[in-house]
Amino acid sequence: MVQHAPSLGRAAGHTSAQRLRGIVGWAQRNGLFFALLIIVVFFATRSDRFLTLTNLHVVLLQVAVVGIIAVPGAMLLTAGYVDLAIGSIAVLGSVVFGELMNAGWSAAPASLIALLVGLGWGLATGYVVAYLGFSPVVVTLGGLAGARGVAEILSQGFTKYGFGSGFAQLGNGEFLGIDTPVWIFLLVFLLGSYAWYQTPLGRHITAIGAERAAAHSLGVATRRIPFLLYGASGLAAALGGLIVTSQLDAASLSIGINLELSVLSAILLGGVSFTGGRGSLFGVLIGVLFIGALDNGLVQMNVGPYYQRAAVGLALVLAAALDVLYQHLDRIPVEASETAESDARLAAGKGGAA
Amino acid sequence: MSDRPVAGDVVMTEPASARLERAPVLEVRGISKRFGAVRALHDVSFALYPGEVAGLIGDNGAGKSTLVNIIAGSLQPDSGQIFVDGVERHFESAAQARAAGIETVFQYLSLVPTLDMAENVFLNREIFAFGQLGRWLRWMDKAEMRRQTSEGFSRLGLTLPSPRTKVAALSGGQRQAVAIARAVIWGGHIVVLDEPAAALGVKQTEIVLSFIERLRAHGVACIFISHNMEHVMRVADRIILMRLGEKIFDAPAATTTAPDLVALMTGAISARTV
Repeated sequence: MVQHAPSLGRAAGHTSAQRLRGIVGWAQRNGLFFALLIIVVFFATRSDRFLTLTNLHVVLLQVAVVGIIAVPGAMLLTAGYVDLAIGSIAVLGSVVFGELMNAGWSAAPASLIALLVGLGWGLATGYVVAYLGFSPVVVTLGGLAGARGVAEILSQGFTKYGFGSGFAQLGNGEFLGIDTPVWIFLLVFLLGSYAWYQTPLGRHITAIGAERAAAHSLGVATRRIPFLLYGASGLAAALGGLIVTSQLDAASLSIGINLELSVLSAILLGGVSFTGGRGSLFGVLIGVLFIGALDNGLVQMNVGPYYQRAAVGLALVLAAALDVLYQHLDRIPVEASETAESDARLAAGKGGAA
Repeated sequence: MSDRPVAGDVVMTEPASARLERAPVLEVRGISKRFGAVRALHDVSFALYPGEVAGLIGDNGAGKSTLVNIIAGSLQPDSGQIFVDGVERHFESAAQARAAGIETVFQYLSLVPTLDMAENVFLNREIFAFGQLGRWLRWMDKAEMRRQTSEGFSRLGLTLPSPRTKVAALSGGQRQAVAIARAVIWGGHIVVLDEPAAALGVKQTEIVLSFIERLRAHGVACIFISHNMEHVMRVADRIILMRLGEKIFDAPAATTTAPDLVALMTGAISARTV
């Protein structure tokens, strides 16, 4: 083949690398989307009920809470941080709400206090992690145990229930045929996309996660941004907790168990690097839908819950493999001809200037 | 800054006396700095003129990086003055030095590989669309930033792939060129380059050195720090040699040779005998 001629070796290498980068770049942008399509088609052939409008509602309703929390979660992970406490903050928000309702408060102020507790927990976490430099994994692992512990102390293990029809609208209401939690997810996702793609926040988050020192030297707020993101994560977790509370009409202590697992799975499947520095919010949306379709499809096929866990586990290992692939692809040089030309021009420029 | 009079090659051929008649862009006078008992810098003075590349050399511990950090605003001197364009400045941070037009490109480059070139060039200096409303909404004008990046590169004579190309896909020399170009695009008319070719191969080094040579034509003054005598002799118009915290040699590059400089650096000979 011509490509093996020595003189063309370098250029040919670039060209095929270029083509490979093109293919995998496309797969990177669309791969998970097609994986989603494949499992949708697969489940549709296995179950008559999978591809129905009713089931679509169910899937969206199932993923709404995970999706709401995954938006700030994806930003944190891209910036190189992680929040493992979200499930526990969700139950804490729920219990705070339940106790206040039990004490005779009305739903609106009780919800507000529950959200503020989530925000406060997140900001406190953000302060010790971002400003004091404590390990994010260790601190939020502490939060995972601690926030649930506080919830258990507050409730003394008793589940409060019966919050009235007004509050039930948060989890069960619908508007234009779409469930309220799905609307909230949509709103959070749109706000997140605006912040990520149209404001400097997205690139600053990426810079913090990829090259912290460089970001800092250019004046990027390397401490304030993660601090505020932890606040947003706590707020979203408490909101998620309230939605589930409304759906159950009970401030149950079972709320939020393994929620961090679902949220992180969706984020990582969406192509966010666990070490930070690379990620996209659109990818995370697909990741959230993928997890929802997988869970729902396996239920439709009457596969037990143990298998669902195993399937998510397998998907995560695949996501880790893709992450390694992406890292290699990022480093493939681009446009051989242009590069060579610029090198030649640069070299020529030196002769001209002398 | 881009439209400042082109000094170009004239600078190199002008006699020293003619050079002195023009105002220096940067002048440091009597800079001293101690770290506890260690005398890092003692009474260092020099001036830098538009379009001039000054090679700053010296052995490890000669005080080069202390001097550079003081000029970059990251360190404050114990005594001495810094003048930029004839105005005395007291830098309390790197941001203040940058605002005065001194851009320092450190070895680690301050580039984010997972962002594209335009995103890197405008990192934390984003341009917003729709005037006041856009600034309030922080709505970026991405097309304008890409356009200005391309335009800046081509004005400096750099041919690079599309500004949407991720920095991770660039070669080492191209990354250096992007970092230096960013400094110049951002109005740095004094660029401090800390070992820009330290970790590069021959071809990549060539990209960087020839780019530095071409910055002259844009009136950019450079302080070029390197251990590599060959690189210094090639790009520098003037050599400033540091030893044990003092400036012991400062003369046009044409008047000296690499072996002499090495001897001076190591203290084998004193400046008077050169």
